[in-house]
Amino acid sequence: MPTTNLLQGTLDLLILRALSLTAMHGLAISHRIAQITNDTFHVKPGSLFPALHRMEEAGWLSSSWGDSENNRRAKFYRLTAAGRRQLQTETRQWETIALAIASALQAT
Amino acid sequence: MSLLSRLASLRRNLFTRPRVERDLDDELHSYLDQLTEEKRQAGMDAAEARRVARIELGGLEQVKEEVRQVRTGQMLEELLQDLRNGIRTLRKNPAFTVVAVLALAIGIGANTAMFSVAYGILLRPLPYAGADRVAAVYMRYFPRDFAFGTMCIRDYLMWKENNHAFEDPSLFTGRRMDIGGKEGVPEQVQGAAVTAGFFSTLGVRPLIGRTFAAGEDQPATASLAVLSESIWRRRFAASSAVLGQPIMVNGAPSTVIGVMPDAFRLPRRETEVWTNLPLNPPARYGPWFYRAVARLKPGVTLEQAQAEMNNIALRMMQQNPYYKRLALPALGLRDALLGTTLKPAILVLAGAVGMVLLIAVVNVANLMLARATVREREMALRLSLGAGRGRLVQQLLTESVLLAVMGGLAGLALAWGGIQLIRVWNPGNLPLIDSVRLDGGALAFMAFASMLTGVLFGLAPALESTRADLNSTIKEGGRSGSASRARRRTRAALVVSEIAVSLMLLVGAGLLLRSFANLQQVTGGFSTPPRQILTMLISPGNRKYSDPRAGLAFYDEVLRRARNVPGVEMAAVTDSLPPDRQADADTFEIEGQTLAPGELNPIISHLTVGPDLFRTLGVPLLKGRSFTAHDNQDSAPVAIVSEGFVRRFLSNQEALGKRIRYGGTWMEIVGVAGNVKYLGLTVDTDPAYYLPFAQTYGARMFLIVRSPGDAAHLAAPLRRDIQSIDPGVTLAQIGTMEQALTLSISQPRFNTMLLALFAGIALLLAAVGIYGLIAYSVAQRTHEIGVRMALGAARSDVVRMVVRQGASLAAIGIVLGLGGAFALTRLLSTMLFGIGVTDALTFAAAPLGMMLVVLLATFVPALRATRISPVVALRYE
Repeated sequence: MPTTNLLQGTLDLLILRALSLTAMHGLAISHRIAQITNDTFHVKPGSLFPALHRMEEAGWLSSSWGDSENNRRAKFYRLTAAGRRQLQTETRQWETIALAIASALQAT
Repeated sequence: MSLLSRLASLRRNLFTRPRVERDLDDELHSYLDQLTEEKRQAGMDAAEARRVARIELGGLEQVKEEVRQVRTGQMLEELLQDLRNGIRTLRKNPAFTVVAVLALAIGIGANTAMFSVAYGILLRPLPYAGADRVAAVYMRYFPRDFAFGTMCIRDYLMWKENNHAFEDPSLFTGRRMDIGGKEGVPEQVQGAAVTAGFFSTLGVRPLIGRTFAAGEDQPATASLAVLSESIWRRRFAASSAVLGQPIMVNGAPSTVIGVMPDAFRLPRRETEVWTNLPLNPPARYGPWFYRAVARLKPGVTLEQAQAEMNNIALRMMQQNPYYKRLALPALGLRDALLGTTLKPAILVLAGAVGMVLLIAVVNVANLMLARATVREREMALRLSLGAGRGRLVQQLLTESVLLAVMGGLAGLALAWGGIQLIRVWNPGNLPLIDSVRLDGGALAFMAFASMLTGVLFGLAPALESTRADLNSTIKEGGRSGSASRARRRTRAALVVSEIAVSLMLLVGAGLLLRSFANLQQVTGGFSTPPRQILTMLISPGNRKYSDPRAGLAFYDEVLRRARNVPGVEMAAVTDSLPPDRQADADTFEIEGQTLAPGELNPIISHLTVGPDLFRTLGVPLLKGRSFTAHDNQDSAPVAIVSEGFVRRFLSNQEALGKRIRYGGTWMEIVGVAGNVKYLGLTVDTDPAYYLPFAQTYGARMFLIVRSPGDAAHLAAPLRRDIQSIDPGVTLAQIGTMEQALTLSISQPRFNTMLLALFAGIALLLAAVGIYGLIAYSVAQRTHEIGVRMALGAARSDVVRMVVRQGASLAAIGIVLGLGGAFALTRLLSTMLFGIGVTDALTFAAAPLGMMLVVLLATFVPALRATRISPVVALRYE
């Protein structure tokens, strides 16, 4: 289901999660998101880059130029301390919501 | 932490923008390269890989634009950019800019000025402490029946005894005062006699010295005087040594105890001296000279106070059967100062000037729409390059707000000038004019009006021009398509609404103009041309003239000298003058008339006049004779009554030989004179009776002279001659009857002038609007008109076609405007004199005038259309 719309705020969580292990450049981040969501979400550049820049300006991410796996120059993003805290907060929030929605759907 | 990082981003985005942009560009290209590389490794050839990668990325510029949108400081950045763009666009179109700024300046300027007037007069807190708790109290009763009439000391004492709602009510009366003393030449000023609590009730403090203390209004108190700042500067060179000095007031010494600042102007704006009013125990009811001011006790509302006053009024009627239908109306201080007619007039004018702004806004919106067509390609191009529609609307709105702010600033200059003019000139003789000024409130109003108008006239065109259908616009190369057809409809609707609103203003102005013409037709009852009459108020000052013998001799001398002044045809004395200077009103008895016990005849105009008054004024003597020099203290008492008197009190029967009684004396009616207005031109003529000067002497009289030509130049020689009889004599209110008439209708003139001005501006703007629309439409139809002419259409056909387009729009506007006018002109009802709010002539003439203006405005572009050469028009393609 590649067309699934991202919920407002979900993209942030996915990016934070994708970057939780290591620094990555843009293309790698979108691949990583596809991978960890079982190919449910394909993030397009038109959504990805504004989100990355917004999160960097918010202080959650920091960026630096480096060499990619195939030796091309690329911009790498990594989580800052604030980004890690944000990941924890958003994870908790998301779990609460997910539980609530699940219980709502199961209710008869 | 987050804030710090935001600030760092803001700094980076604003100040190192090229680097930020380059960085973004690099990042996206690197992404594209990697994607391409991936595709190639998956087996595509290089060209195919690059193509697929590009498609997957979407537009490079669009992605960049999306990223820019989320940047911190984006709003600010965009705003600056829009402002730069806006200024550039406006500078590239100077004609458009000037016309738009001018229209807005007029609209915003007139509104700011009117706002200042309305705020200053209706809303600005009065310069008296706690003025909102102060009420003016009047007395209304039959037979006198003045809505805001006066009471006598007995009524006041009775009220005070039963009063619980007010703190210490205070009584006052305005009077003319002769001021003289060692300090300078005698002069006559407006003064007021007030009880002790007057100043403390109003919450005002003196500049120096003190005001009246409690008890200084008791019988046998010394005479005291408080001066205004202006007279203190004029006569005493602002010296504080004046305190404790005697000053002559009406020939008797009073001790100066204090000086009030010029900001204090009560009870009348021109009041310069206040004396203490001794409350001597009255032997009888009357004279009814006094009004009151009183401060509400804490927690008491004006309504509660009024309820108590109503009870007191009932008791007054029980105590004195002469009072019928008595009421004691209490008005807030501001309402008391404004009177009843000014507030609706100011609100109507404010509404009218709002309509002018509306028309200006519509006009500019129209211009913007016309320009939108020209800019269609620019917008389409930017849309296709990834600019969001919101972004473009924002840019266009910035432009229009910029325009509005420029208009607002120019309007501010206009408003400032207008307010100075109104203040200095005070054409409407407005009360509280001193509190009209351009201040922070007005500035805020101007800023708000500019922003609002900017958005108002910018929004529709902005939405309209960013709706462009990309394909058709670019393909058509800017020629009119379906979008511009919608736009033409919008523009036509705007012009129709302009015409409708201007017509409403035109009808309103027409009504006021007709009403004003009626006012000017009112003669006041005398036939001598007003500019040939000069009048002045003479006050002999010296107490010796209180004796009738000395006084009559003095006035005989005044008249003798006046008649010798070259240019004086006739001279007379009187204590009242048309149109509105009534000195006295009183009741009377008629011989043989039976009145119920306690009943009295109404109180009507009561005049003291010398021989020749009727001839000098040109009042017809309908029966009998005029007063002569023989009607003096030694001859039988006589009276003259007005035509209205005979009709109302003598049932139109023979008046001559009947006797009326006033002040215990029976007088024989020897003449009947035509009706004269003494209470104002708009008031129904009051019946009047006249007594001869020599039989009912009073020291203060008007001298009235008549000249064969303009009488104004007689003032100087008359003044010289009269003051040579006795240098203690003071003269005041010197002026021609023409000036008096002008002054008496200054407020309606002010209303009429302003509304006519507003309607004129509206008409002009509407004419410009329809001219612009038709001219534009002719330009758009150049090709079509060329084809028509090539196919044999005559010039007259073309003119008719173009004019018909304008006329049909005007017709719709006029129908709508007439409907609006019918609904709105009733607001004018209190301002009209002698015509109804649906005056047929006005309602016929205004649409005709409007149509004429529209046809003129249409005719110019129509003529231009006929000069289109078919060859050129077709080659135009």
